[in-house]
Parts: sequence; C-alpha cells; structure tokens
Amino acid sequence: MTTSTRIKGFILIGLLPALLLYSFFVIVPIFWSAYYGFFDWKGLGSAKFIGLTNYVEVFNDPIFWTGFKNNMLIVAASVFGQVPIAMILALLLTRASLFQRMIRASIFMPMVLSSVVVGIIWGYIYHPQIGVLNFVLDATGLEMIKKVWLSDPSVSMYAIMVPIIWNYIGPYMIIFIAALQNTSPEINDAASLDGVGPVRKLFQVTLPMIWDTIKVVIVLCISGSLKAFDLIYVMTGGGPAHTTEVLASYMYNSTFNVYRFGYGSAISTAIIILSLILILGSQYLMKRDYR
Amino acid sequence: MEQILTKNKNIPKLQDKKLKWSQGIINIGLTLYALVTLYPLFWLFTSALKTNEEFDSRPFGLPEVWQWENLKRAWDVSAMGTSLINSTIVTIISLVLTLLLGALAAYVLARFQFRFKAFIMGLFLLGMLIPIHSTLVPLFIMMNKVNLLDTYWALILPYTAFELPLAIFVTAAFLIAIPKEIEEAALIDGTGYWGIFFRMMLPLSLPALSTVAILGFLRFWNDFAFALIFISKPALKTVPLSLSVFATGYATDYKLTMAAMTIAVVPTIIVFLMFQEQIMKGMTAGAVKG
Amino acid sequence: MKKTLTFAIMTAFIVSIIGCSSGNKEEASGKPAASGATETKAPEKVKLSLWHNYTGDDLRAQTMRATLEQFQKDNPNIELDVQGIPPDGYRARLKTVAAANEMPDLFVMWPGVMTREFVGGELLQPINELLDSKPEWKEGFLPNSFTEFTVDEKTYGAPMALSPTSILYYNKTIFDEHNVQPPKTWDDLMNLVDTFKKAKITPIALGNKAAWVAQSSILSSLADRVTGTEWFLKAAAGDGAKFTDPEFVEALKHLQQLSDAKAFQDGFNSIDNTQMEQMFAQGKAAMMIDGGWALTNLAANASPEALAAMRATVLPSIPGGKGNPDSLSGVVGTGLGLSKKVEGARKDAAFKLIYAMANPEVQKKTLEGNQLVSYKVELDTSKVTPIFAEVYKLLGTVTTTPVYDGRLSSAVADVVNNGLQELLMGGNPEAIAKKIQAAHEKELAGSK
Repeated sequence: MTTSTRIKGFILIGLLPALLLYSFFVIVPIFWSAYYGFFDWKGLGSAKFIGLTNYVEVFNDPIFWTGFKNNMLIVAASVFGQVPIAMILALLLTRASLFQRMIRASIFMPMVLSSVVVGIIWGYIYHPQIGVLNFVLDATGLEMIKKVWLSDPSVSMYAIMVPIIWNYIGPYMIIFIAALQNTSPEINDAASLDGVGPVRKLFQVTLPMIWDTIKVVIVLCISGSLKAFDLIYVMTGGGPAHTTEVLASYMYNSTFNVYRFGYGSAISTAIIILSLILILGSQYLMKRDYR
Repeated sequence: MEQILTKNKNIPKLQDKKLKWSQGIINIGLTLYALVTLYPLFWLFTSALKTNEEFDSRPFGLPEVWQWENLKRAWDVSAMGTSLINSTIVTIISLVLTLLLGALAAYVLARFQFRFKAFIMGLFLLGMLIPIHSTLVPLFIMMNKVNLLDTYWALILPYTAFELPLAIFVTAAFLIAIPKEIEEAALIDGTGYWGIFFRMMLPLSLPALSTVAILGFLRFWNDFAFALIFISKPALKTVPLSLSVFATGYATDYKLTMAAMTIAVVPTIIVFLMFQEQIMKGMTAGAVKG
Repeated sequence: MKKTLTFAIMTAFIVSIIGCSSGNKEEASGKPAASGATETKAPEKVKLSLWHNYTGDDLRAQTMRATLEQFQKDNPNIELDVQGIPPDGYRARLKTVAAANEMPDLFVMWPGVMTREFVGGELLQPINELLDSKPEWKEGFLPNSFTEFTVDEKTYGAPMALSPTSILYYNKTIFDEHNVQPPKTWDDLMNLVDTFKKAKITPIALGNKAAWVAQSSILSSLADRVTGTEWFLKAAAGDGAKFTDPEFVEALKHLQQLSDAKAFQDGFNSIDNTQMEQMFAQGKAAMMIDGGWALTNLAANASPEALAAMRATVLPSIPGGKGNPDSLSGVVGTGLGLSKKVEGARKDAAFKLIYAMANPEVQKKTLEGNQLVSYKVELDTSKVTPIFAEVYKLLGTVTTTPVYDGRLSSAVADVVNNGLQELLMGGNPEAIAKKIQAAHEKELAGSK
C-alpha cells in the first residue's frame, strides 16, 4: 500500500511540472487558435463569428490542397529518403575515432547553419544564369535537361526537396546513433558469434532493438515535414503562383501578409488534424512489430 | 562487461581483407559527403568577407579583397554583443529546464503504468504538430496578461514547453530499451525512485539527453518568431533578431547579413562538438558501469 | 569517471540556473519599479514608445536613427522607448500586438491599405491638429502627399519619403552601342527587346520572387496606360468597373507579350529584386523596371562607372490606351502612425516627435541620402548619384498614378501578385482577371 502511494506520488510529481508548463504554453494556444478559426477577423478591430465558414473554405481551397500535396511529397521524401539515409550513416558512424567524429560533425553542419544561408546557397546552385547545376550540366554535355529549377512548376517542388532532405539528415542520424549506443553489446556479440550475417543481424537484432526510436523518428519526420517552412520561405516564398506553397507557408501568409487572421487559424487547425491522422496511421502500420 | 568489450574488438577477423576494402570505399564516400555538407560553412565565411557586388557576381569565388571590416560593422550595427549574451542566458536556462522536466516525464512515461498514460502521450504528440506561427497571438495575449512579456521568461518558458514533446519522446524511446533488471536490483537495495532517476536513469540516458540538448540548443538559438514577438526591449534581443536587421524588404545587405551569421554560428559549432562528445562518451561509460 | 562528469555537468547547470535566474529577476522586477518612480517623481517627464524598421546599415536607416538620437538629446524630458524591429518581421510583429490591442504609441506606418486597415480597427488618432499648427511645414509637402494617409478627411500620417514604383531604368552605354533610343511607344519597346535579344543581352532584368515586383513596378503603370486612372479607381471601389473588363485583360495581355517575347531573363520568378538590381548594374541587362528604392540600393552597391551609365524614363505609351503616358505609378513613403491611447502631455510630445522625424531639415538629409522625399527641397546634385539626380528631375515633369497594392486590400493584392507570376509563366489572362475580380468582390462584400 505504501509503495503504491509512493509510486503514485512519484508519478504525479514527475509529470506535473512538465504537464503544467506544456499545457499552458502549448495546449491552450492550440485550442485558442482553433477558436479563432470560427471568426472572420482581420486581426484588428472587431471579430465576427461565422461558424464553420472558414473551415469549409479551407477544405474547398485549391491552394490549401496544393500545399497539402507538396507537404505529402516532403513527407514521402523524408520518411523514405531521409530516414534510411540517416540510418545508414548512423550505422557506419558509431565509432569514436577522429575520422568518424569529423565526418559526423560535418554531416550535422547544415543544421547548424541558419536556413537563410542554406536557402541562399541552394538558390545559387539552382540559379538560372550563374547556377552551378546548370553549369555542370553544360560541361557534361547534358544541356537538354537544363532547367530554370526553381521557377519551372514541373520541377520546382522536387528541386526544393533536395535541400530539405539534405539539411535535416543530421538530427535523425544523431538520434539513431544515440539509440545504437544503447543496444546491449552482449546481444550484438552473441549474434556475431553465432555466425549471423551482417544484413540479417541488422534486421533481426539491431533494428528491433531500436524500434521505439525509429517510431519516434518517423513521428518527428512527419510532423516536421508538415510544418516545413523556413527553407521554402527563403528559396521561393511558396511561389511562383503558389506552385511550391506548403501548408505552413500558406498559413503564415494568410495570417500576417493577407491579414485574414481567422482563416489562417483555420488552416493551422487543419494542419494539426491532418498531421494527427497521418501520424496515428503510421504508428498503426508500425505496430506490426519486429519483436 | 569490460572483457566483452575487449573481445568485441577482436571479433571481425574473418574476411579481413575484403572488410578493409569495403571500409576504404565507404570512407571515401563518407569523406566526399562530408565535404559537400561542410561547403556551406566555408561559403558563409568567404561570403562574409566580400563586397555586395562580388557576392552577387561571383557567389562561389573567393573575395578579391578580404573585407575584414564587414565583421566589425555587422557586430556594431546589429548590437551582436548584447544579443549573444541574451541568447546564451535564454538558451542555457531553457536547455536545463527542458532536459530536467523532459527526462523526468520520460522516465515516468517509459517505466510506470497508470491511467491516462495514453492520453498524456497523445497530448504531448499534439504539441509537435502545431505550426508555431499560429500560436503567436494567443501566447502574446496570455503572457501579456501575466506580465511575462519583455523578460527572459517570455522566451524560456515557451521554448521549453515546445521542446518538451521531442525531449520526452526521444528520451522515453531510449529508456524503454534499457533492461528493467538494473532498476529492480536497485529497488531491492532500497534506492528510492528519485535516487534511481538521478543516479541511474539520468547518467544512463546521457546519449539521448545530449541529442535532445543539441536539437534544443539549435531551436532556441535560432528561433526568430518568438523572439520577434515576445521581446521588445533592445537590451533583451536575441541573436536571430540581430541577424535580420540588414534586409529591408526592398533590398538585402548580403555581406553584412553573412558577416553577422558568421559570428553567430561559431558558438553553435562549439556546442555541437561538445555534446557530440557526450553522446559517444555515454556509450563507453554506460557499458563499463552497467 | 562517469560520475565526476555527470557531477560537473549538473553543477554547471545548477550554477547557471541560480546565476541567471537571479540576475533575471532583478532585471524583471527593476523595470516596473523604475518606470513607476520616474512618473511619480517628475510629473512633467513623459514616456513614449516608438517602433521603427530602420535597423540596417543603409544611409536612410542611419539618418533616421541619428535623428532619433538627436531628438532625445534635445528633449531630455521626453523619455523614448525606441525599438528597431527587423524589417522582415516588422509587419508580423505589428499585426500581433494590434490583435492583442497593445500598440506602441508611435510606429512607422505605410500609407494606403495599412493606414486604412488600422484606422478601420480604431487604433489610430489623426494628426490634423499638428499639421494645422505648422502651416508652413504642411505647405512644404508635394501635392497629394497626404491623400493616402487620409481616411474620411482626417489625416493620420506625414510621409517621410516618396516611392515612385515604376521607373524604366536603362543603360545608356548599352543603348549607345546598339544605336538605339529609349522607347517612346510600345512598339519601340518590343523592337528594343528584339534588338537586344539578337545581341544576346537580356532586354529587361526582372526579379519577381517576391511577387509584388511585377505588380507594383510593371503592372501598376502599364495597366494605367491602357485603362486610364479613372477606370482603376472605379474598379477598386467596386463601382462601375470590374477587373474582368476588356481593358484590364488587355493590360494583362500586354504584360504577357513581354514574357512571350522573352524580354526578361530566364527564371525571373525565382530571383529577388536585389539580384535584379545587381544584374542591371553589372550591365547584364539593358533595362530594368523598378521603383525609387532602387536608387538607394544602387548608390550603396554599384560602381561609379555603372551609376554614370544609368538613365531613367517612364514606361512607353500604349496605342489606343486611355491613360496619360507622361505619368508613373507611385506612393508616398511611410509616416508615423499615432496610437489612439496617447493623450495630454504625451500627445504634445508625440506631435513634437512626428515633426522632428519629417521636418524640412530631415527631409533634406533623407534626400541627400539618395532617397526620394515627398517634400519641396532644393536638391544639391553634387551630393547624390547622377541617376538619382535624373530621377529627381524626371519626377518634376510627370504626374503620379496609383499603385495597385496601395489601393487594393492586401488579400486582393496577394491574388494579383500570384496571378501575375502565373501570367508571366503563360497563364490565361482572362482566367487570371476572373480570379482577381472574384477575390475583390469577396473583399468588398466583407467590408460592407
């Protein structure tokens, strides 16, 4: 009896500070913003209650769905591109040698830099006149695939995805490395001694051991991709003509540039709902555990 | 345990030659990849020392004359000294709070069964989904009511709150993978839960906490939106605000922007390298101890 | 060993918590105490908060900051809480505090839509009293300087600058090399495009990544040539003209002719206006259609030779067009907006500051920093770049027409901006005109 109250007390004290702080600064604003979504409000002066009108408009807004489609492209690229690459790099880079340390640090570097810098550099790589990419294509005789990468709607979204993937590999790699450090060496060694091949060992021993971390990374990946904003804002601002718009940039634009506060809030609530569906779906799929 | 560790080193004997070859190719590949990722840093440093005209006409060339005074000018105009101090204070306190509260909550969520657990996990998930820009107005109104605006806490508390989900999820996933037996042994020895948390769980999750620290640091150090809205006193401005003073909407003073960014990126690199060491040390230390 | 390490980290953390939080508390508690003390001790001393976006290293920003410092020295009894806000975040910040009804006392405010929206939100008070008390000063402004700051016959700001938006800049050296003259008519312009394209020079540099450039600098003037000013004012008011009218579609088609003829360099929708100005300055393009703000940027970043080769004129006339060809679109620059909450002695102090920021001397200094002003000042041409002197002269000979995003609400302007990006990529002019009209009608219905 005393132990159970002790446990309860510990659980309460352990969770309460985090929960309180979090509820006040994160949960309340989420619902507050969803509430603004019911108003026609320019952000100044009086607001007019209009019920679900904003939410209905969001779901009928072609630009919103362009943004959603672009976000889904980023989600796909992150989950199937970023995560595997980060995993491979993490598996290759678990040792503490100077060489490995240096490589690890460099892979993380794009994250350290402001998105403004990364965005500008890629802007110059894709630059239609003095860009490196077109220069290389010229030099290798591949002129026919030269493009105005960021202005051509047929390729611009893909052109933007490359730096996004490249930029955010570092954090996932680091999370994976930390998790790999935690895998118990005995099991690893036992497997090696049993003569299990490296590929089988990876799928039957290593990955199951860090499965929880992989799940977390997928959640991070999906939520991060649906909130993607900085790099796109710097590189194209969502243009030309909304072709590279993503949900977050559309939300920002509606709120702060176009002054439709209620509508921006409705978009943001829609983002949360769509993200939740995606994440719960992904977690459901991943439940068919290895273990 | 130590024996196993030393044994570990002797294992990969079979197919030594083949291994060396593939290792060599992998290393070359890694080096090339690393060079590509390092280049932007180099680019930033060289761009910071150019004129605006050069920046645009030869974005990938070296400066013709190295404009060292750009750094001084950027430092002065953007009040970088004050910003660096403010950012350091805000970032350190936010990090400590995030790590402490996050690790504690993660330990509880990873190790105990209780009602509402799934609900609480769901609540924390929600926070990772909201685009921060849509919280600006509600947060501003709330903090204005409780007189938090224009203090360090106006940044520290939201930063911590928004970083908690990531901290909790990463650390909890890590703790779940630690065998329960260690803890049970300690309980039998009479160590309380607080003792287990501080003396075992915190040290054991050092790699995860270091990871959280790196990511948190980057978020706090680079945040523009909160710093822009919640801080108005010039004396409390943080680094991202100093970085953005050179773009007027009609024109961007690229050389000074780059120079200011060069100054701001140095602490970030140092912090990253420091915590990276912790991730690696956590491994060896944890293994020996366990 | 691990233990010492953790211990070291924990100690460092704890020390920093204690060290920082206590320092911070002092800071936090010191603030209200200090302000309370000043108010009670010296009742004649007043406090005012001011937000501006003059944060950069350009001459304009330096002049304005110096003016503020001087004002504080001259008026020790007025305590200013000055906040320089990064221009990129300026509107977002203002928007947020306005939503929370926590406006600063004075702030840099754009004429036109922004003024009207803030007045509509009942956040501002007029400054007519100040203007009427200094008739000489008021008379010194150029005609129509207050139009865009005026709502229901009350004036809410005094412009501190002038922004013509659609000047046709051209490179005299390149023109001479090809033996051509600046375009007088639309056909001239299309011929020039041909000539330069054959010579492998970009005819017109364009940086339309921030989509307002094509709208503000090209369409505002070009459409005026076709439709005439009266039509636009009617359409903007939703009274007797629509954006789906044939004249507006005609204007869009003219703009599209330029992109169809490849008058702009490739990829203009992903290049920003700073890059566009550099491209023109470096002689990679023969022409550029840009606003008066380019003068400040060029003066700071272009070489003296490049500046000497630049000339300026207005957009060419369009056959059959209803607009006056001797005109260019433009707006006055920002002024200081005054919050409704400022009263009594604080209001007097605020008036003093508004005057100090826009008085003849400051206007002159601003002008000499290669920034146009909406004020009658004799220009000392030795102090500015030759191209600035030329534009200054040009402005004296032409009339000003409205700018699209100065008149339309921000939501409609956004649709126009994106529509033009689409148009320049080959979009259908009629369809784009329809989208603009639809957004406009929605806005008009909402504001009723």
